[in-house]
Amino acid sequence: MRRFSHRTLTLFAGLGVAVVASMGSSCNLDPVHRAGVNNLGGEQADLYPPETEFHRPGEPCALCHSTAGPADSVFVLAGTIFWGPDNYERRVDQAYVRIGGPDKTTKCFVTNCNGNFFVKSEDYPNLKFPLLISVERVNNPGGPGPDDEKSIRIRRMTSHIGREASCGNCHILGLRDFGSPGQIRMYDTENEVDTAKVPLPPGCPNDAPRVTRCPEDRL
Amino acid sequence: MKVLTSLRIAVVLTVCGATTGMIGISACASAPDTDRLTNVIVPDFDTYVANVDAYLTRRCGTLDCHGQPGRAYRIYSREGFRLVQIQDGSLVSGQQPTQPEEQRANFEAFVSVEPEEMTRLMARQGDNPNELLVLRKPLKLERHKGGPAMAEDDPGYRCVVAWLQIPVVDGNGVPIPKEQRQKLSPNGVKNCQTATDFP
Repeated sequence: MRRFSHRTLTLFAGLGVAVVASMGSSCNLDPVHRAGVNNLGGEQADLYPPETEFHRPGEPCALCHSTAGPADSVFVLAGTIFWGPDNYERRVDQAYVRIGGPDKTTKCFVTNCNGNFFVKSEDYPNLKFPLLISVERVNNPGGPGPDDEKSIRIRRMTSHIGREASCGNCHILGLRDFGSPGQIRMYDTENEVDTAKVPLPPGCPNDAPRVTRCPEDRL
Repeated sequence: MKVLTSLRIAVVLTVCGATTGMIGISACASAPDTDRLTNVIVPDFDTYVANVDAYLTRRCGTLDCHGQPGRAYRIYSREGFRLVQIQDGSLVSGQQPTQPEEQRANFEAFVSVEPEEMTRLMARQGDNPNELLVLRKPLKLERHKGGPAMAEDDPGYRCVVAWLQIPVVDGNGVPIPKEQRQKLSPNGVKNCQTATDFP
């Protein structure tokens, strides 16, 4: 029988440890989390540019955008704002999402043209739960006119967020029942949305000018 | 070679022993006794409904915390999880007001987390309430996934403790009729109100 030297055995052992370690870092070993990610299904390129800030509106963002992965960036809070309770296509662009923490800190973030907003840990380093949230859409965000920053609609969450980073985990798309209030919405009926003649972006992504900061954060 | 054989025998014996042990343990487990009843001395229900439920549902009952089916201490409310067994399951999260049946379910959930410990607490008329897991966890005396949710000097904690300290049995363990029980003190009511209104 061929005998391996001590050095060779050490090398093999090191190699084995390295292989196992690399498996652990690239694969998700939590079956529940892995199933959650897999259940999201594939990207829908006909609806949005895949793997961009516009992708997967309404889905639980932090399922992937967490330390467990598989996305590269980690969100401490993220979600999508819709105009009404049922229509998936009518999402609110340039909405001001204001977040208030228990230590009186407040931050404001703006939705993109697909209604998505996201807060990276470096954007709100001292974020603590529970959080209170309000969403506002004004006439013409960033416009020069006196009425441009006048509110069309403002809504506040009636409860706080206890610890969940994904809005879509409780505000489940297409499900309004005993366990979910449905998608985050500015109006409670689609008729109200029709009557209000709300502004909708000309496709997404688009080249139209858009604000990325709330009024209180602009220089 | 001899050493290798002994090692093999030892491994086989260990596996056999473990398997036999597992079979033995599972064979000794008795069937659940469906007639078993645990008598619990519970705190005052009317005070809970009038003063405490609103605070606990607001503070603890959001959908991402105790307003979900996976929790032993499960809370139903307008802002969170709804009781699906009533009104033909038509209650929707965030819409209709919290129903009396939901408040009853919340009360039962609270006292059922540790029924024996709750009985002991009531028997000593609310003395040393921090023995209860439902207080130990939010105070972070024990691991709590939601982090610290109460402090001993905040009105919410004082509200809950004031409620738990309303005597429901006398010193001899004889139940005090509902109509003869103490009411929550004005300070206690104020604490509950402040805690409920806190954003």
